[in-house]
Amino acid sequence: MAESNALDQPWRIWASVAVVTILLTGVLLGAIIVPIVQGRGAGLDAYTAICRALGLLPGSPAQVQPQDRTPPSPVSQVSWTPAILKVLAGGDVERGRAKVMEVCVACHGEQGVSPTPAVPHLNGQSAAAIYKQLHDYRTGSRVNEQMTGIAQALDESVIADVAVYFAGQRKRNPNPASLGALPSEIVDLVVHGDTVRGLPPCAGCHRTGSGGPIETPILSEQGDDYLVQQLQLFASDKRRNDVYGRMRSISARLSPEEIKGLAAYYRAGFR
Amino acid sequence: MRSVDRLCLAHFRVAFAAFLVAAILGTWQMWVRSPLGASVGDPDIYFLSVTAHGASMAYVLTTFFIMGFGYFVAETSLGRALPGRAWAWLGFWIALIGTLMAVATILSGRASVLYTFYPPMTANAFFYIGLVLVVVGSWVWCVLMIVAMTQWKGENPGAAVPLAMYGTVANAILWLWTTVGVAAELLFQVIPAALSWVQTIDAGLARTLFSWTLHAIVYFWLLPAYIAFYTMVPRAAGGRLYSDTMGRLTFILFLIYSLPVGMHHLFMDPEHGNAFKFIQMLLTAFVAVPTLLTIFTISASMEVAGRLRGGRGLFGWIGALPWDRPMVLAAGLSFVMLGFGGGGGLVNMSYGMNAMIHNTAWVTAHFHLIFGGTVVIMYFAIAYEIWPRLIAREYASVAPLRRQLWLWFIGMMVMTLPWHWLGLQGQWRRVANFNYADPIIASWGPWVTVSFVGGLMLLISALLFARNLFALHQSAIAGGQGPFYALAIHPPKRVPAALNGFGLWNVLVAVLMLAAYGYPIAQFIVAPSPSAMVHRVE
Repeated sequence: MAESNALDQPWRIWASVAVVTILLTGVLLGAIIVPIVQGRGAGLDAYTAICRALGLLPGSPAQVQPQDRTPPSPVSQVSWTPAILKVLAGGDVERGRAKVMEVCVACHGEQGVSPTPAVPHLNGQSAAAIYKQLHDYRTGSRVNEQMTGIAQALDESVIADVAVYFAGQRKRNPNPASLGALPSEIVDLVVHGDTVRGLPPCAGCHRTGSGGPIETPILSEQGDDYLVQQLQLFASDKRRNDVYGRMRSISARLSPEEIKGLAAYYRAGFR
Repeated sequence: MRSVDRLCLAHFRVAFAAFLVAAILGTWQMWVRSPLGASVGDPDIYFLSVTAHGASMAYVLTTFFIMGFGYFVAETSLGRALPGRAWAWLGFWIALIGTLMAVATILSGRASVLYTFYPPMTANAFFYIGLVLVVVGSWVWCVLMIVAMTQWKGENPGAAVPLAMYGTVANAILWLWTTVGVAAELLFQVIPAALSWVQTIDAGLARTLFSWTLHAIVYFWLLPAYIAFYTMVPRAAGGRLYSDTMGRLTFILFLIYSLPVGMHHLFMDPEHGNAFKFIQMLLTAFVAVPTLLTIFTISASMEVAGRLRGGRGLFGWIGALPWDRPMVLAAGLSFVMLGFGGGGGLVNMSYGMNAMIHNTAWVTAHFHLIFGGTVVIMYFAIAYEIWPRLIAREYASVAPLRRQLWLWFIGMMVMTLPWHWLGLQGQWRRVANFNYADPIIASWGPWVTVSFVGGLMLLISALLFARNLFALHQSAIAGGQGPFYALAIHPPKRVPAALNGFGLWNVLVAVLMLAAYGYPIAQFIVAPSPSAMVHRVE
């Protein structure tokens, strides 16, 4: 036993010394020397540079950050925090129905099926999408003669009620076969996009389970007049509440025929 | 047939069945990415296929193969019955049920998240629960490996644990450490999100926990190849192992330095400070040490064998080696791929150079070369060596085995070298199809096509592998006996406890993990960052 201990002790000591030395070398270089040297180039004092390297302070020790001090001007005030999701989850269908009967019914219909071509159908729309658009109308991120005034009169919880009410209304499932054939170029644009023009596929976001942003609206069975109108508004920069300008940059690259074709695609109930 | 043989065969059959399916899917993916098959198939189908290919190759092939190999080593190297055989079968069935759950979810299109766990994108919960069951099954294996070694040491006080078993237990302990990260991510973050219990998820924490697992898992896959280098190749070459101690040190160094290094997968991530990235980069560099030790030791062992066979001069011994033996041939080809793959890996792990290849096709090419090439060719060699012993049959001829190994090697080089080049050109990874009408993408076309040809060769080699094993089962020649493990030139009589167990090394792993991952993980709990919305892809 004593013999094996004598054989083993140097291993315990030297292995530990080697590993700890390597670790300390890493700490010395990575947490102290490199940040101090890099920080000097960026005009940072040693303490700030070390804190940044360790992640205790935001920013990099190698660069002046933030680069730009102008306050951001977001295109939408909606940010998907747990608190907002809770408000949305707490939406009440019955209260929503009452508000719809009082305010929305004239244009959007009792079940969200709009009788007017330029007014969107809301039946079966994603609650998050309705919430975002109403909120954007309320804060002025999106502007519409009728909707701006209406939305400003609604508070957050009522918006959530209305959103879950419409989300719960059924789609009508039109028969795609009756709506005529679709050109293969349009189907290709939806499924594959067009990398030459930098167009991502529509289905990359506008398809259930695609993993697109939560506020992405469901386009299936939407009226084609409304879709054409909105794509044109995005293309001409008149509607600008799309985060990162995604829809503005996409719409501006679509031809008028493609806009019509895509609207027909989605009206037909495809996803 | 011994009952442990049935156990090994069951594991190997599942492993290689998954491998065959995944090889077919992989070739199809190479085709639709190339100009020849552009615009074939939906992106949905492509991502479903990549998920199935990746999960089969990375989780099913590896885990089942390593478990089966471990059971074989435990019984044959220790020369005693495997303890807890009923538990081993239980582990097998748990892992198999988990595999089937994951496969069913992938095929239903509800798990097309690829085979990595990067929230906020989440698949159907069954996919994750299935993979957790695969891991639980492998934990049973880990415990049995440790118990087998401990019991043997009790029966043979002071004796050196056979090197093959020492390496296997190193891998079992490595795997226990490795799976802590992903298990925490899945159980506390991803599965609750997939089950809709929570609507937001801390993506930074999830990525950090996954990085804990992501690099060490690769060494879990790699160690069987190294066990074969040290304990099977020298005997197959007709020589002896140059140094048993080098083997022990190698396994220990892999255990220590494959864990506190995963953050090199997060060099471009914003959630960690540069200092921790630097420390983990430095520790990653030390993973090269056991590989260099191995290249030295195995080359020396081969030189011994070559000179015993009459090789003379500085390089004459290389030609004198018995390259017609599949195990020797596979080791040689594996070393060549290790040279290229290891060089590419040094680029990946370097903080600065990583920036130019991050998330490009270079990365996919790298892990295909180093895992699919270096490691899997040794899985073939191990299977070729063990299978005759499991069913007591002998090959009528080993020529088809050699052809299969050569084809795998050439196919892998033809596939991955242009693929690396495409990564340097900026070709992105995780993309379903390319528009070859674009002039820049069109210039990639020929390289992608060559890569696809490599993929076809790999598919033929995979089918040939299955055919060779099938032919062995049909063979009328009895066999599968004789010595198996290589002897060392100086067989160890007494080794220090440090080289005969893992107590000291576990303490050092804990110290390194605490230093490397302590604050990076604690920061998410001390000062939680804004969580991301869960995106359920189903």
